[in-house]
Amino acid sequence: MQHDLKRPHGASDVTFSGVSRRKGNKMGLLSILRKLKSTPDQEVRILLLGLDNGGKTTLLKQLASEDISHITPTQGFNIKSVQSQGFKLNVWDIGGQRKIRPYWRNYFENTDVLIYVIDSADRKRFEETGQELAELLDEEKLSGVPVLIFANKQDLLTAAPASEIAEGLNLHTIRDRMWQIQSCSALTGEGIQEGMNWVCKSVNSKKK
Amino acid sequence: MKHFLRVVTQFFVFLYCKCLWRGLKFVVRRLTGRCELQRICYNNKPGARRTLKIESSMRYSKYELLQSALSIHPDKVEKTINDIMALKKINPDTNPQLGISLQASLLQIVGYRSLMAAVEKLRREPYDCENTEHENMLMKLWKELRPDTPLTGRISKQWCEIGFQGNDPKTDFRGMGLLGLQNLLYFAEHDKPTALQMLQDSLQPKHNELNNPDWEQKNPDKAIGYSFAIVGINITDLAYSLLVSGALKTHLYNVAPEMPSLQHFQQTFCYLMQEFHRFWIEEDPSDIMEFNRVRSKFHRRILRQLKNPDMALCPHFAASDLHLVNM
Repeated sequence: MQHDLKRPHGASDVTFSGVSRRKGNKMGLLSILRKLKSTPDQEVRILLLGLDNGGKTTLLKQLASEDISHITPTQGFNIKSVQSQGFKLNVWDIGGQRKIRPYWRNYFENTDVLIYVIDSADRKRFEETGQELAELLDEEKLSGVPVLIFANKQDLLTAAPASEIAEGLNLHTIRDRMWQIQSCSALTGEGIQEGMNWVCKSVNSKKK
Repeated sequence: MKHFLRVVTQFFVFLYCKCLWRGLKFVVRRLTGRCELQRICYNNKPGARRTLKIESSMRYSKYELLQSALSIHPDKVEKTINDIMALKKINPDTNPQLGISLQASLLQIVGYRSLMAAVEKLRREPYDCENTEHENMLMKLWKELRPDTPLTGRISKQWCEIGFQGNDPKTDFRGMGLLGLQNLLYFAEHDKPTALQMLQDSLQPKHNELNNPDWEQKNPDKAIGYSFAIVGINITDLAYSLLVSGALKTHLYNVAPEMPSLQHFQQTFCYLMQEFHRFWIEEDPSDIMEFNRVRSKFHRRILRQLKNPDMALCPHFAASDLHLVNM
């Protein structure tokens, strides 16, 4: 610092900012390396919920780059681990059938991120899906857990846009947690990466 | 370098074994005066034991004719067998049984392939509400499973009673398409007592919880057991993957004397449903959330059973239903 101060004003500014930036970069790289080393794969627990036929299992298989051509209705749950951006994402996909919904609560504990999947083309059940989501957001065990809403099935012509769904669900009234709505198609894979980027980002900012 | 040398050594070992194998075959052929296909037919009884060996012998044959015979059209089987007999210089007059045996085995082999194609086609056909044939099948399924209760409408909560997820079964067929519906209907029509029993069991609360006096207060709507139709669609997936992986060859070569048909596949489905139900009760899972664990354990068990070349997955039909099966 002293060394820098002795220099003429103009030059000092340039050098100073230059050095600091370079220093910053180094720090960034080092800290990333250190982070990678100390936490080889930081585990993240993700809960995938939503009504039946929303596309949860397709999304899960798409995340794990598996074949999505013969998916059957989920009895119980599926779980898969996916590596992404230095995280080990443990994704729990729980069946959405009305009969199974009472079991959802058994999986709330230690959830880092909640992903709620909506069939954007199933307008008849928007109210039902909104109710289920509202109930989830009221759950004590899920308080403060960031929520990502996937407005799925955007490949269908009849799909409602994400903005319309966000309005219908009154998402803007959520104040107690981070939330995001992302339009996607689990079938084509469109929009999923963007959503998962948000998930990783929100985990990072939560850890800080 | 080390790695390279290892690869080269492995290559030579492979060549050596191949020469040794060919040489051994040549010597045995000279000694017995029979070619490998003949020896397989004479030493193994008809069924999976014989056909599986013939299949692998043909696949690894040095003759193009034998390799390609595995994927010919069923109509050309007879001619191909004649060609093979000529190629192998086998006199049909002194070996009258051989041609017939080989033909039966080859029909099983190519039949398995065409069954796979037929099943795949059904699976890829999505359920279509506009298609009256599909709609009729669905309605028929209801009538078979709920003969005394009329359906109040095409879209109805009643569908949940037979184990669909919501008020329109359409979305539940998903990746299994029409194959799922056809299997369920076949099961309900041809093995009605088991289907109805399964359905009834699936709607009952679990027996040991029933004995618990405060069960009702604790879990008022926790009907235990699984959803019949959904389980049927999941077991369809199981049967489909057994077929595609080739594991069902053992069973189908044992039960179908010639070409296996769709009916054989549907009967296998009935067997899997019966067995899964029994397995589920045996395993005594605490709730439906254990479904996938039980299912994969069941899958492994079936795979293990199919390793035995004498295994056949025959459903136990009630005597009163047998005439329907044989129709």
